[in-house]
Amino acid sequence: MDELSLELAEGGLTVLVGPSGCGKTTTLRMVNRMVEPTSGTVSLRGQDIREVNAPELRRGIGYVIQHAGLFPHRTILDNIATVPLLLGWSRKKARARAAELLELVGLPSSMAKRYPNQLSGGQQQRVGVARALGADPPVLLMDEPFSAVDPIVRAELQAEFIRLQKELHKTIVFVTHDIDEAIKLGDKIAVFRTGGKLAQFDTPERLLADPADDFVADFVGHDRGIRRLSFVDGADVPLREGPVLPATSSVASARTAGEPWVLVVDGDRRPLGWAAVADLPDSGTLADATLAPLGHTFSLAGDSARAALDSALLSPARLAVGVDADGAVVGVADAHELSGGSADAGTGGADGAKR
Amino acid sequence: MNDFLNQVRLVWDWLTSSQQWHGDDGIPHRLIEHLTYSGISLFFAALIGLAFGLLVGHTGRGAFAVATVANLARAIPTFGLVVLVVTLAGLSTTPVLIALVALAVPPILINTYEGVRGVDPDTRDAARGVGMTEWEVLLRVEVPMALPLILLGLRIAAIQVVATATVAAYPGLGGLGRFIVDGLSRNDYELVIGGSTVVVALALVVQVAFTALRRVIVSPGLQVAASKS
Amino acid sequence: MSDDEPLIRWQWIGDHAAELADYTGIHLRLGLLPVLFGLIISIPLGILCHRWRWLYPPVLTVANILYSIPSLALFMIFVRYTGLTERTVMIPLTLYTLSVLVPNVVDGLASVPEPVRLAATAMGFGAIRRVVQVELPIAVPVVIAGVRVAAVSSISLVAVGQLIGQGGLGYYITRGLQLDFPTPIITAIVLIMLLALATDALLVLAQRLLTPWSRNKVRAS
Repeated sequence: MDELSLELAEGGLTVLVGPSGCGKTTTLRMVNRMVEPTSGTVSLRGQDIREVNAPELRRGIGYVIQHAGLFPHRTILDNIATVPLLLGWSRKKARARAAELLELVGLPSSMAKRYPNQLSGGQQQRVGVARALGADPPVLLMDEPFSAVDPIVRAELQAEFIRLQKELHKTIVFVTHDIDEAIKLGDKIAVFRTGGKLAQFDTPERLLADPADDFVADFVGHDRGIRRLSFVDGADVPLREGPVLPATSSVASARTAGEPWVLVVDGDRRPLGWAAVADLPDSGTLADATLAPLGHTFSLAGDSARAALDSALLSPARLAVGVDADGAVVGVADAHELSGGSADAGTGGADGAKR
Repeated sequence: MNDFLNQVRLVWDWLTSSQQWHGDDGIPHRLIEHLTYSGISLFFAALIGLAFGLLVGHTGRGAFAVATVANLARAIPTFGLVVLVVTLAGLSTTPVLIALVALAVPPILINTYEGVRGVDPDTRDAARGVGMTEWEVLLRVEVPMALPLILLGLRIAAIQVVATATVAAYPGLGGLGRFIVDGLSRNDYELVIGGSTVVVALALVVQVAFTALRRVIVSPGLQVAASKS
Repeated sequence: MSDDEPLIRWQWIGDHAAELADYTGIHLRLGLLPVLFGLIISIPLGILCHRWRWLYPPVLTVANILYSIPSLALFMIFVRYTGLTERTVMIPLTLYTLSVLVPNVVDGLASVPEPVRLAATAMGFGAIRRVVQVELPIAVPVVIAGVRVAAVSSISLVAVGQLIGQGGLGYYITRGLQLDFPTPIITAIVLIMLLALATDALLVLAQRLLTPWSRNKVRAS
């Protein structure tokens, strides 16, 4: 591999992603001198890492690998205490720290005395993360840490990991071959192509909106348009008033709205369901009508535009229902409006509005 | 069956007669001789076998040589080697002990090598990744993980040394084999079978000692793995 | 040994060629028949241990204890029953092979991939047919690796049998000591090692012919 220059933000999570054989793992391993570059330098906080003795350097950098690589002959607690013990902490202090970390990664303290082969793959991986955090290093290197577990456990670990990073603000270099994982976790993503060339180094949003070339576009996948919506806030979705009527309204008023479906809400504007205008009884109020289920709504207070699109596709009226934090309806949008709006976001207009 | 009981009585009479427990021809003296030969040879064989086994296992260099030595060594007739050494060097203890060491090194060497080599590469990678020096990787990760095989090598070597030390009585050395060899030449079956019984007892003690040692020094984390597979 | 005696007198070897050949034959018989008997015992025993796992630890313990008993002592225990015959040498040697062969049969059977076992069952193999036609052939490489170790050890151990007059080429070892003459001893050692290594090579070849699908995959431990 050659001519790679990357600057990683402190406290940020940078993902290196690419097909196998692209040199992403090699790049990662250069940071803790597990691989020595033939030319060029790697600096950590302004210091050339070649000036630091390799084992000493590594004790200050957390390291997590695919199969966790736990020491089978040591208890879980002693595995986690490895680096503190290497640094010369007393056994008591190291174990106390390890017990804290066990809790931090969401494992019960009853596991402390067990051995790695008595744990599931997902649990072993949590221990692997805890071990890396042993001496509270500012930098973490993670080499496909969640690849060896099944998808359900992986999603769980990713969610926990996001929570953990919000708390700890480590500078993390994360290698994966899974672009979805990269987009889910990364603050910035470096896409490598085969042969060790950097194809693009950007935020996930930019990567999806504006891939540098065909290789990157292909790698992020044909559904990148939809995935991009994940980065658009629900609050930025263009909503319109729409046919929203309280249950106390008369059937006649629903007919005058001029739409095939009306959204029926209660006194607090909380959605009750959709009413098909063609099937309404001849008289009375909407409370008497048979309502089709809502599907699901999306919240302007937390969901992304992707949830909004999903809500539109699942609703019988093909309209997404946006609600505020209290669950009251704010407005509706159809699938076309949602995707059209985000296309603008890609070319810059709404992108600016978001910030 | 009757014959078996006769044999047991024969052994019992021999073991309990007071002359077996005194002097240069007594069981205690022969046992001490035997233990001394075996202990010294095993000690030096362990030093050599462990040092080279760990070195080759850790660096991966010289693996072919280790495999070749181990294969050739198994083919050597130990009885022939001991007799040859006495024929060439005369009847003294040291040359025979050197031969015993030479025979005990290969099983220790090959099993130590295999044990270290068999450490999961991910585990070794993780050990370096968390900041262990090469010595720490060897002593804190590779050796403890290789212990089951290292102990197996030591046990095979111990069995080998105890057996060969028995045979060494034939060209004139002391030890428990003396009873058997002397009994054969004097046509004294009581002596032969009595001596054999003591040798069997010693072998059993060695076997039990290694089983106990394994229980004590091998990490429970590895013992679970062993019983799973 | 006198000082002017050379290490090897080639003349002696030439003079005894025919006799050496006879003893080599005897030696092979004494060394290899026990391996065959050991295999005949170990295969069914290994299958039983594989089928009922609780059986395996006690069987292995007994085999290991037998293996730990020095050959000279074991020969002497059998002398009373079988006299100074070849059987007295071959029975202990057979018992020694068990500590290598039984675990290798069990490991070999354990090396059969679970999907293969399930597929065979699904196709309607009965338990016995499945073991004989599917599992044992797949276990062959691991079993032969054990046979190699057992055969080499057995051939080199035969010599001790000379102390009860049945040692094959071991005859030349005791003879050399009695005559204070190293040539027969060295000749016997070299011949025994050559027999062991040639047997080993033949077994490697046999394994390649028997299991063309597993070439270069299994290596003797």
